[in-house]
Amino acid sequence: MKHRLPCTLVVASTLCLALGFESRAEVDGPFGMENAMPKHLSQQDIERLSINDLVAHGRALFLAKFTAAEGAGRPGATGAIVPTAAEPTGASMFMRTAGADSNACRGCHNDPITGGAGEFVANAFVSEGFSDADFDTVDPQFSNERGTPALNGSGLVELLAREMTRDLRAIRRVAAAKARKTGGTVRVALRAKGVSFGHLSLHGDGFMDVFELEGVDQDLLIRPFSQKGVFTSLRQFSVNALNAHHGIEAVERFGAQHTDTPDFDQDGVNDEMSAGDVTALVAFQALLPAPVSVMPDKANHAAVEQGRKLFEGVGCATCHVPELALDSSVFSEPGPYNPAGNLRLNDVAAPLSFDIDVSFLARDDQGRVLVPVFSDFKRHVIADAERPHFANELLAQRFVNRDEFLTPRLWGVGSTAPYGHRGDLTTLSEAISHHGGEATASRRAFEALDNMDRRRIIGFLQTLRIPVTEVGL
Amino acid sequence: MKRMLFAAAIAIFTVSSAHGFETARYIAEQTGIDHAYEGGWEFFVGGGVATFDCDGDGREDLYLAGGDKPAGLYRNVSTVGGALKFVKLADGALSLKNVTGAYPLDIDGDGQLDLAVLRVGENKLFRGLGGCRFEATNTAWNFDGGVDWTTAFTARWDKGEDWPTLFFGNYVDRAAPGSPFGTCATNQLWRPQTGGGFGHAQALQPSYCTLSALFSDWNRNGVADLRLTNDRQYYRGGQDQLWQVAATGEPSLYGRKDGWRKLSIWGMGIASHDVTGDGYPDYVLASMGDNKLRTLSKGPTRPVYGDEAGKRGMTSHRPYVGGDILPSTGWHPEFKDVNNDGFVDLFISKGNVEAMKDFAAKDPNSLLMGQADGSFTQVGETAGIVTYAKARGASLADFNLDGLPDLVVVNRNAPVEVWRNVGLGTAARPVAMGNWLQLKLLQDGGNRNAVGAWIEVRIGNRTLTREVTVGGGHASGHHGWLHFGVGTAERARVRVRWPDGEWGPWVRVYTNQFARVVRGAAQAQPWLPPGQQTGLLTDLPPG
Repeated sequence: MKHRLPCTLVVASTLCLALGFESRAEVDGPFGMENAMPKHLSQQDIERLSINDLVAHGRALFLAKFTAAEGAGRPGATGAIVPTAAEPTGASMFMRTAGADSNACRGCHNDPITGGAGEFVANAFVSEGFSDADFDTVDPQFSNERGTPALNGSGLVELLAREMTRDLRAIRRVAAAKARKTGGTVRVALRAKGVSFGHLSLHGDGFMDVFELEGVDQDLLIRPFSQKGVFTSLRQFSVNALNAHHGIEAVERFGAQHTDTPDFDQDGVNDEMSAGDVTALVAFQALLPAPVSVMPDKANHAAVEQGRKLFEGVGCATCHVPELALDSSVFSEPGPYNPAGNLRLNDVAAPLSFDIDVSFLARDDQGRVLVPVFSDFKRHVIADAERPHFANELLAQRFVNRDEFLTPRLWGVGSTAPYGHRGDLTTLSEAISHHGGEATASRRAFEALDNMDRRRIIGFLQTLRIPVTEVGL
Repeated sequence: MKRMLFAAAIAIFTVSSAHGFETARYIAEQTGIDHAYEGGWEFFVGGGVATFDCDGDGREDLYLAGGDKPAGLYRNVSTVGGALKFVKLADGALSLKNVTGAYPLDIDGDGQLDLAVLRVGENKLFRGLGGCRFEATNTAWNFDGGVDWTTAFTARWDKGEDWPTLFFGNYVDRAAPGSPFGTCATNQLWRPQTGGGFGHAQALQPSYCTLSALFSDWNRNGVADLRLTNDRQYYRGGQDQLWQVAATGEPSLYGRKDGWRKLSIWGMGIASHDVTGDGYPDYVLASMGDNKLRTLSKGPTRPVYGDEAGKRGMTSHRPYVGGDILPSTGWHPEFKDVNNDGFVDLFISKGNVEAMKDFAAKDPNSLLMGQADGSFTQVGETAGIVTYAKARGASLADFNLDGLPDLVVVNRNAPVEVWRNVGLGTAARPVAMGNWLQLKLLQDGGNRNAVGAWIEVRIGNRTLTREVTVGGGHASGHHGWLHFGVGTAERARVRVRWPDGEWGPWVRVYTNQFARVVRGAAQAQPWLPPGQQTGLLTDLPPG
């Protein structure tokens, strides 16, 4: 009896060795974990990390093929921007129409570099998303389908929009004070960076009439993101997209403060994306290199310049404004105009702040950076009965009618085929030919040009390229 | 890329409370108000505050009952988004003694808010002249203020009428034999006369010592009926009441045959809101002991009310801090979404009547936070509003126009408290919570401000519903911005069912704004607060 234990050990050891078993090695770090996100960043991490490390983390998130282990999918939530519970359907985690529809940001934004555009196969379907799906068909007449826009230069885009909002609201503020002082009505022209946004009438009692506004929302907030111009900031766009496309829910929108639960989408994962993570994602996108002009062979340099002049001459530049002047290239995050559900200035002791490289851009005589964005940051009616193509969808999106779109930024357009908000036009000529509504005169002027002049314009546009430079590596 | 500033981003809000949601924080402010509600037995009840904009600057001003001391009118001079400040206006017509409460409304439809002032003794109607000036109009409007002890008021506009029907609820008839028990004074209804003004009072019998009254369209049939909550301390054989008040003729009481169930409580105040989401208003009745939430049980055809206060955590029947385990005494209930999360919250002022031994002496006011699941959670301590004064009337209103509802509380024999809502921050650095929208309505005719209208605010797939009323609370009326917390919604669709039943179109409104919906207009009119936008408002330059 007393020899039995040692005997048993000897037998077991021998057996284990014979079967090839060894003692269990410690598992280190994320080995064997099925998380695509390397880690979560707290706001304290944001303070500690260098901007390069922050951008690298943002890039890692942009590339991450999110997994169920870290919260991908949203069985209990729709893709709506306002946290909205879904009716349980038992549907697959992924669905092309109502989403979630992709694994990673880069799944669509990848052409020609990470953060760029996407071709038709990368289209997404958008709706208000308050129900499971507002449509069951992908017929273009009945679904709002969107091509993937390039994010390059979006830091400068957001800065321009912030400054335009500031300028419009300053006009409003001065006019309101004048109206209050006089007790009468003050009608003011709204202009920001040379772009007219119509008129606003302010009354002595503080109320205002907004029916003369043009291409901007009642709150005079320039929303430069999405093809409808309905998102204020990279942060808001990112938080929306993470939920809609991946089912990854940011705490600042879907967390307990606004939903009373840390797992609003009921996938078993709490607090899926921290505010620090979103800040990193924003920093990465804000610092994606801005599009540049890439000249063709020397023989065509003159044609490019002629194309540019023709572009302006036929009236394209009325809306596709070649350059907007930026006062400051310092990007602060969070921005000043975020609504609740996105980290806001008052939520932090001090914003993250970094400088965007604009050394390659010209400046005006006031020292302002001339951003060659080719847009007026304004919405226009772009379709009519004669040219209905751009109104080929069923649903108004977030108060914006079917035939109205934000003037697309043409910088980088030489790298971002296909074209149109649905990505269903393979050439720039087709895109131009579908311009109706407010662009009718310009389109007709373009069509009246001879073939070579049209080629000069197209050739000029093809020089507007996205640099093939990855960031955050 | 050069990093300019890296002191970045220490999140203040990231730690959620144990409840999951976040509670608004209130800071007591030295506002320039030096006022208390004082007096003997007649002033054990009452102690109201009227909250309204008397000078047209968009900020809501205060008229505070003083009991046996003069009432006080205070102009709101708060900085937009900043500290709360009020300036007492020179004694004028409103500087009356024996005031128990007051309700603002535009009685004569001239665009200036008037005041119905409740008193121990003659009630007074004051016509607003603009600039916070008022003139007494009992004679001009053919209104006999009587001599009763008045503690409740409500009003409605009947279809086609330019002037309102007024209800004055009276308390104990002190001159009756056997007073005070079983001797409730008669309540009165005042109908408008053709051409303006009022005629003679219509008595509503039986009367059961009414402490709060509210004309409300409980079944949404287009006609507001009269809900009264009464004080069982003094009536005998009485109960709470619901009067069917037709445009003409004698009002009639809903009774058992109609499905009305007897409810006998120490009814102090009424607040209405569609808590259950069935499209019909529910009614909180503040009382001693359990507060009630009366919910329509069997549809709109019969006034059958059950109670969901217990189920939803709204009874608030005992002090939650201070060690006193005796029942609470609730007075002024008011619904408002104080953290702008899209789920309405409930404030109830509390305080012993005077020295009732069976009820808590240390009885702090309650703040019950509404949650996504329809329940309510007491957060008074977290919110920072705990004091042990004997509170009476109150009002939740956005005094500094920053989107966060502030709070004023009238106390018996103690100074008025004014609390600034600083969201998740501090007085020096407030931090916004959810998005919000504040609305006013405007239509032609005498009922300019559309009392009796219903507002629907559509955010996502939820609809927030609000009935525009005059009355309720505890001797405290509010007339001004109608506040909606909308959570994370950046846009809202708003439509109005106007008092005559006509639905207006859906109009599109961006949140974090003030706006007015004008009948017949396809777009709302945004309103800009005066002065430089600071603090929580987003009219700020970047950087």
